[in-house]
Amino acid sequence: MAVDVVETYPAPTWKSGRIASWFVTVDHKRIGILYILTALGFFVLGGILAMLMRAQLATPGESILTKNSYDEVMTMHGTTMIFLVIVPIMAGFGNYLVPLMIGARDMAFPRLNALSYWLYLVGGIVLWSSWFATGGTAKAGWWSYPTLSEVQFSPGHGQDYWILSLHILTLSSLAGAINFVVTIVNMRARGMTWMRMPLFVWALLTYGILLLLALPTLSAAVTMLLLDRRGYTHFFIPSQGGNVVLYQHMFWFFGHPEVYIMVLPAFGMISEILPVFSRKPIFGYKAVAFSTVGIAFFSMLVWAHHMFTVGLGTGLDSFFMISSMVIAVPTGIKIFNWLATTWRGNLILDTPMLFALGFLALFTMGGLSGIFLAAFPVDWQVNDSYYIVAHFHYVAFGGIAFALFGGLHYWWPKMFGRLLDERLGKLSFWTMFVGFNLTFLPQHMLGLLGMPRRIYTYHHGGLWEVYNLLSSVGSGILALGVLVFVVNVWRTHVLRMGVRASNDPWLADTLEWYTTSPPPPGNFDTVPYVTSARPLRDLRVRLAEET
Amino acid sequence: MRRKLAFIALAALTALATAGVAAAANGGFTPVSPNSPNASHTTTAYYVVLAFTAAIFVIVEGLLVVFVVKYRQRNRPRTAEGSQVHGHTRLELIWTVVPVIILCVIGIVVFVELPHIASAPAASNPLRITVEGHQFYWQFDYPNGARTIDELYVPAGRVVDLRVVSADVIHSWWIPALGGKIQALPGITNHTWFKARDEGTFTGQCAELCGLYHAAMAARVVVTDERGYEAAVAKAPANLGSTEFHGVCATCHGMTGAGGYGPNLSNNPLLTQTAGLLSIVQHGRGRMPAVGSTWTKAQLQALAAYVKSHVYKGAASGG
Repeated sequence: MAVDVVETYPAPTWKSGRIASWFVTVDHKRIGILYILTALGFFVLGGILAMLMRAQLATPGESILTKNSYDEVMTMHGTTMIFLVIVPIMAGFGNYLVPLMIGARDMAFPRLNALSYWLYLVGGIVLWSSWFATGGTAKAGWWSYPTLSEVQFSPGHGQDYWILSLHILTLSSLAGAINFVVTIVNMRARGMTWMRMPLFVWALLTYGILLLLALPTLSAAVTMLLLDRRGYTHFFIPSQGGNVVLYQHMFWFFGHPEVYIMVLPAFGMISEILPVFSRKPIFGYKAVAFSTVGIAFFSMLVWAHHMFTVGLGTGLDSFFMISSMVIAVPTGIKIFNWLATTWRGNLILDTPMLFALGFLALFTMGGLSGIFLAAFPVDWQVNDSYYIVAHFHYVAFGGIAFALFGGLHYWWPKMFGRLLDERLGKLSFWTMFVGFNLTFLPQHMLGLLGMPRRIYTYHHGGLWEVYNLLSSVGSGILALGVLVFVVNVWRTHVLRMGVRASNDPWLADTLEWYTTSPPPPGNFDTVPYVTSARPLRDLRVRLAEET
Repeated sequence: MRRKLAFIALAALTALATAGVAAAANGGFTPVSPNSPNASHTTTAYYVVLAFTAAIFVIVEGLLVVFVVKYRQRNRPRTAEGSQVHGHTRLELIWTVVPVIILCVIGIVVFVELPHIASAPAASNPLRITVEGHQFYWQFDYPNGARTIDELYVPAGRVVDLRVVSADVIHSWWIPALGGKIQALPGITNHTWFKARDEGTFTGQCAELCGLYHAAMAARVVVTDERGYEAAVAKAPANLGSTEFHGVCATCHGMTGAGGYGPNLSNNPLLTQTAGLLSIVQHGRGRMPAVGSTWTKAQLQALAAYVKSHVYKGAASGG
């Protein structure tokens, strides 16, 4: 048969080389690992930029960074962390875990999957090569509002690199999103109905759908900006009939779903880790799954809460206040269900669990400070101040990054075959937890005292100085915590001191733990018929009954 | 155990340090003490939201700590399962409905406070001032045609109606003690207001990234009695050249014109060539923005006169 003829072509030997095999791979696990390691690399780079900013702001009138490079560093930090770290690392975890969790041999479109990764890498390289562009990198912040980002006020090519990079990253994410949706809808194991699907897979399905809905608007907005800059249009140039608020609408129509694109997979990780380390099923599976879908739906309707100070008028402001408050309800449902999951459990406080509990503590704080922002007259006072910086870091670092570190420690043995050290893991958690709070808690106060975000220096003494110094010291401690994690990885793999992992070192619930650690190409010989949301526990129970 | 103790000690120290500095002022735990009705009502709304969120915070974090302590592993084996409950419909309903009620209460409070925050009380003669954001200064136009830079003079107890516009990029007007922000958008006119209760000077700075010197774009609102206000506005034209230089040029060229980000001016002969100087001020050149794009003739002349007599120190000797 024709199909067999294609399969008999032997792969050229160079393709199986130790390094070359990574370049030509279409295996979802390898692509997932490439995604995760690349994103961790960018995380370190973005973190260094953050440390530079905190060093500059540690004391009044500091001159470690000139104002020019502060704006570059601030813009690159935000763009890197959002587009090159959080979104792609979620795609990495999704790539690695979704086929394993649903009992599939690979993603639906393996080559498209490889394309997504390589586009991501190219997009990242384009963004970071803008340090060498004429006039340096983009300097107008991660949302790059015109007219500041127009060529009149941002000459040079940094902004153009930024636009090109976002175009490439958008294509990468769109291809990835289609792949996730198709894979999840079509390739689940026998017996895995929607209500037996792991909650992380629910999260990745919504992640994919949200990306498909939100990204085209971002592409359109930055294309229009590019045409303004290098073509002859004036979509956003008011002196020629353009409108600057149009860009804000387009950007945030993408930008708010983007927040949930980043946080929903993190929620999914928490929903996997908490039950396993509580030795319990997730409390309210349906509530957690449907609240994910609810959040995704409402996330499309709240974008202008980023624009309360634009002067949209009471009618629009009120609508977006109400929709923003509505989205707090499904988020609250999740938090209460997670809390109830730990109730009457056997809480095993290993590193993944510590990070998950830390997530719960910190994300709650970030969610609650968001209520102040939804109440738009209060937002008029705190918007664009350090209060906002504190709020979204409680969500993005305290929430998402803590979930990610929990996920890294949890799935590390599955991905790399060795367990990370528990002592170093716990040390890294506590250092990061203390450092994080010391960095970002005082920033709420700075914002209420009147410190705007994105300033490269200040001349106030007193409380401004105290809180800024505390925050900078905290950022150092936070970085130490990340360093401990790096040391842990080094110890586990380079010194080979990590314990070899069995198939299922945590006594987990989902199918990825049914195969070896790391899994072979093709993942499974056979997949058991799935009869509940916890197939692995079902197997354990059955085995215990038989013996 | 030792690690736990160290953590508790560190947390306690942090809390102490924070409480210590906080006791020194309002500590930044609430918005800056308000000096205008809109700011007061914003603070009231803030307290209402704070009350509810603080309660939820204590409940959630409290339960989390209690559960972790009470249900931790101790000497149970890893295989020991917790109670296999899958959910509880009534609980789900409770923690859906209670937050909805709380959010409704917050929403109602916001709508009750809103009219006092969004719109100025009806006044017989509000003081109408135009605030124009520029890279990197604020320009204020008074009803009698006077213009000031970075410093806004207003009388206490009178409603001040601000028309907020921008000449170049997006800026954001924010004096924390006198109410919330409003963006200064090129091509769009926004409005906000305040009514200063006490005399004094209230500071704030641009809250929307507007370029290189965003951090230097500060504004001061000087609140005096009616007589002081009249005097300040009457004196404004005579001081215009000086305030223009210090508010606009000095940001980049240094307070004495000795240079900084922009080149040294004090021995630049261009300062004596009025037409050339004013052309650069109006249209910008190279890295210099068109700072004076909306300036009046009198205003331009005032700057030319001031720099000629006060900043120019003669051509540099020996090239």
